[in-house]
Amino acid sequence: MPELRIENLTKRFKSETVLDDVGFTVEEGRTLVLFGPSGSGKTVLLRCIAGAEEPEDGHILIGGHEMREVPPEHRGIGMAFQNFALFPHMTAFDNIASPLAARKLPRDRIREDVERVAKLLKIDHVLSHAPRALSNGQKQRTALARALAAAPSLLLLDDPLRNVDAKLRFEMRLELPRLLADQGATVIYVTQDYKEAMALGDRIAVLSAGQITQAGTPEDIYRRPASIEIARLFGDPTINLLDVVPEKDGGGVFVRLSGQRVPLDGGLEAAVGKDCVLGLRPESLRFAESQDGIPVTIEAETPFNEKTVTLVVTERGREILISRPAGTEAPSEGKTSIEVESSEALLFDRATQSRIVPDQGGGTSEAAA
Amino acid sequence: MDHMSLTEKWLRGIALTLVVLFFMFPIFWIVLMSLQTNETILRSPPSMVFEPTLKNYVAIITGKLDSHVASMDIAFMRNLWNSILLSVCSVAVALLLGVPAAYAFARHKFRGSEDIAFTLLSFRFAPPLLVLLPLTIYFQDIGLANTYFGLIWVYQLICLPLILWIVRGYFEDISPDLENAYRIAGHSWLSTFRRIALPLAGPGIAAAGLLAFIFAWNNFIFALVLASADKQPVTVGALAFVTASGIQYGQIAAAVVLSIAPTLALALYAQRYLVEGLSLGAVKG
Amino acid sequence: MSEALLELRSVDKFYNPGGANEVHAVRAFDMAVSKGEIVALLGSSGCGKTSTLRMIAGFEEVSKGAIGVNGREIHRLAPAKRNVAMAFEGYSLYPPLTVRDNIAFALKSLSLDKREVERRVGEIAQLLEIEDVLERYPSSISGGQQQRASLGRALIRDADLHLLDEPMGQLEPQLRALLRGRIKHFIKERGLTAILVTHDQTEANALADRIAVMEGGVMQQFDTPANLKDRPANLFTGAFIGEPPMNVFEAEVRSDNGRINFGLGGGVALDYAENEFSLALRAALAKKPQVTIGVRPHAVRISSEGAQAEVTANQWLGDQTHIAARFAGGSIVSVEHERTRYAKGDVIGVVLDSANLHVFDTETGAAISHGGALA
Repeated sequence: MPELRIENLTKRFKSETVLDDVGFTVEEGRTLVLFGPSGSGKTVLLRCIAGAEEPEDGHILIGGHEMREVPPEHRGIGMAFQNFALFPHMTAFDNIASPLAARKLPRDRIREDVERVAKLLKIDHVLSHAPRALSNGQKQRTALARALAAAPSLLLLDDPLRNVDAKLRFEMRLELPRLLADQGATVIYVTQDYKEAMALGDRIAVLSAGQITQAGTPEDIYRRPASIEIARLFGDPTINLLDVVPEKDGGGVFVRLSGQRVPLDGGLEAAVGKDCVLGLRPESLRFAESQDGIPVTIEAETPFNEKTVTLVVTERGREILISRPAGTEAPSEGKTSIEVESSEALLFDRATQSRIVPDQGGGTSEAAA
Repeated sequence: MDHMSLTEKWLRGIALTLVVLFFMFPIFWIVLMSLQTNETILRSPPSMVFEPTLKNYVAIITGKLDSHVASMDIAFMRNLWNSILLSVCSVAVALLLGVPAAYAFARHKFRGSEDIAFTLLSFRFAPPLLVLLPLTIYFQDIGLANTYFGLIWVYQLICLPLILWIVRGYFEDISPDLENAYRIAGHSWLSTFRRIALPLAGPGIAAAGLLAFIFAWNNFIFALVLASADKQPVTVGALAFVTASGIQYGQIAAAVVLSIAPTLALALYAQRYLVEGLSLGAVKG
Repeated sequence: MSEALLELRSVDKFYNPGGANEVHAVRAFDMAVSKGEIVALLGSSGCGKTSTLRMIAGFEEVSKGAIGVNGREIHRLAPAKRNVAMAFEGYSLYPPLTVRDNIAFALKSLSLDKREVERRVGEIAQLLEIEDVLERYPSSISGGQQQRASLGRALIRDADLHLLDEPMGQLEPQLRALLRGRIKHFIKERGLTAILVTHDQTEANALADRIAVMEGGVMQQFDTPANLKDRPANLFTGAFIGEPPMNVFEAEVRSDNGRINFGLGGGVALDYAENEFSLALRAALAKKPQVTIGVRPHAVRISSEGAQAEVTANQWLGDQTHIAARFAGGSIVSVEHERTRYAKGDVIGVVLDSANLHVFDTETGAAISHGGALA
């Protein structure tokens, strides 16, 4: 199974640059999630790798071989499309068999392979159906089966769970890692659902306006986002962002929220006096009856699935969202106060929008500038 | 709401009847005429009461035209055969050339592709007489005048733009992802064209072909100028019934019925096909 | 219940009545909504929720039954006479008007003072974060902004009833949680009564005081979000509500020696002391040897003493972890709020406490028990 390397890839449509000097490597057998809002260039990038689009510049190397001049049918790729792209005039069987038929395998072998992959994906009972007779979930599984059928060494999955309902999406999210691991393929998975990205990616590359703004493990991205934009893209409810100016005294670096001090990492000394934005994840906040808490008024409590989210406002009118596991006790109306888990607080430079990395430990951000 | 919809139903019914009457009446009338002699046709006031006769059809099919003045030979069956030959061959050639071209225009946007496609369509805008005079002279020079080959060539002016533009639309409606998926699965572009694009645009190609056939069949001016009697289609051939000794209305009517019968049948068949094609197009992807 | 503001009495909706393709979209629908309540109609597409809303609004005729607002029958009145405000799924903003005029349009009939209109529009625009686009035209703003404008136009009105059709489906994900909080606060503060239609249970849970779960035109359960989760009336509601969905197993019930035993597939059995279940429940179970049991993912306890399960996936989502494991011939999903380190292939113990057990009748799907007591 080969590794995939993308170098300096640039793609323009007319005068618009949709991919700008993109580069990354996916180690063999690993899954890279390309994450980004719609229009960020994810699908174009995938199409360039598949050979459906020609990039203006850069290199696509699969197992060390340059692919720029290789037609799509010879790249050894399996791909699943967001809109499934099932051939409407063929049965599910023929759809899944199409990559095998292209390899001119004997009929028995094709039948065997199709049935094996169909069974794996639990669609062996609908193989004789035409795509239009399949449910959405079955369509999605057929598309996936077609991508997997010829055991390609590189698998491109373009938001394959986008068009299925929430329950199925959840089921497939838990099932996919096992399927992909069994294949041993190198995988690029495109999504705009941050939960899918975190759940499925060994690594995540965040794409924004045609550029990779951060690449790293799910933990890197969630706990150490390179910028405010990335911090906002990961997490539901969205991270709370508060304008602050860090201060320093004998007790270390801190910021004030409604007059209460919230201590920060000592390594953030360089940020003292600067206009900053404090990022607080809703789950790093909790209600506290203590005197040190930040006084707030509860506006509304909105139960989430396994969590309860509360919207509160501080005395200065700043809105903050707090989440806690469902079923845990907490005040649901009136005035109360909250506490910050300050080890999880993030600090961003308000001017550049990028995260200020604490000094000690030498932990550098993986941002691709 | 119910009483409203009843009035609505009535109004709609009446309107539909009027429209159908308006459009069907000429066909109905010509069928009646084809079953009468010239005398009953020309009596005044006209009447729907007559004794039907198949004499007109017999005359046309045997090629002997008998009027009370003289007897003359007509080549109507020959004309009918010419019509079929010219239309079928023209559509076949147009499909052979037009479908791949339509695919190219639909899938590959190159510089000037839109201009070329439009130029091809613009052949349909120009009055045919504009090209006929120079064409006649060229054709006489290179020996194409009064040949089937030459006529089929000129008929491409009618058929090719039609097929190109209709089929191109159908190709454009096929999601490129379907073709991408087939190619990534390991098939060459040619087999992708044959196995994916062609079958999926099939209904559209059939509809365009049928439409081109009808247009070719109904063409008058090209054949009138470029073909002599033995190569003329029915549209031109019908002129033969305007004789020195009078206009043979009964025979004209019978000839018209015979000549519109194939296109009418095709149109009825195509109607079913077109609906099917439209609903097929709706489930793409 | 106190005097109901909105009342639907055995409402039926047929499409193409008597025709070949007759559809019975809503069946004998009963509902009473009090003033100040937020109610959600929740279900997948085609469940009849939108038909119900449109009957209340007056865009669909009521085939059978009656709808009353404040004790007055309204189902034969023209939509404009019902005093309801509605936000449409397709937004339905007036294209030639700016966003500001679109929102202010709803206040036209009140002939308010110009400054008062401006104040109200400004307030709702701030709430929905559309202040920047107030002077723009609907066609030049994003789908999410259009949806917020449409929501603003409905919320700004003083109406007996506010009907919201999929009000947040197109909202930018980053704004959703915040806007849910703000809108709920807005509705509650003003004591408005709102009916919202949605297929998104997160939205229904977050906003509604009570949720009507619908399927196949039939109301399955009408209850508070907490009760829907803890006391689902049937297997459909149990499996429909909750993300990740409820773990469901077929089980064989045996009782002897003061123990009650649920035999699942794959040789796994859940064994409980008899006294964890009420007497009445034990009697009911004795008559039903075959049942379906359900356990919510967050109630699945991972502990060394439980039945063995092999981890197939462990997915950390930042604020929670989803663990899937092979268990009892199928799979089981557990949700933890901390990050856990189980790797694929690890064997863990799974404990299902009797207090978190939902038992359903396998044939009818009706709930038999929740925890230790009859449903």
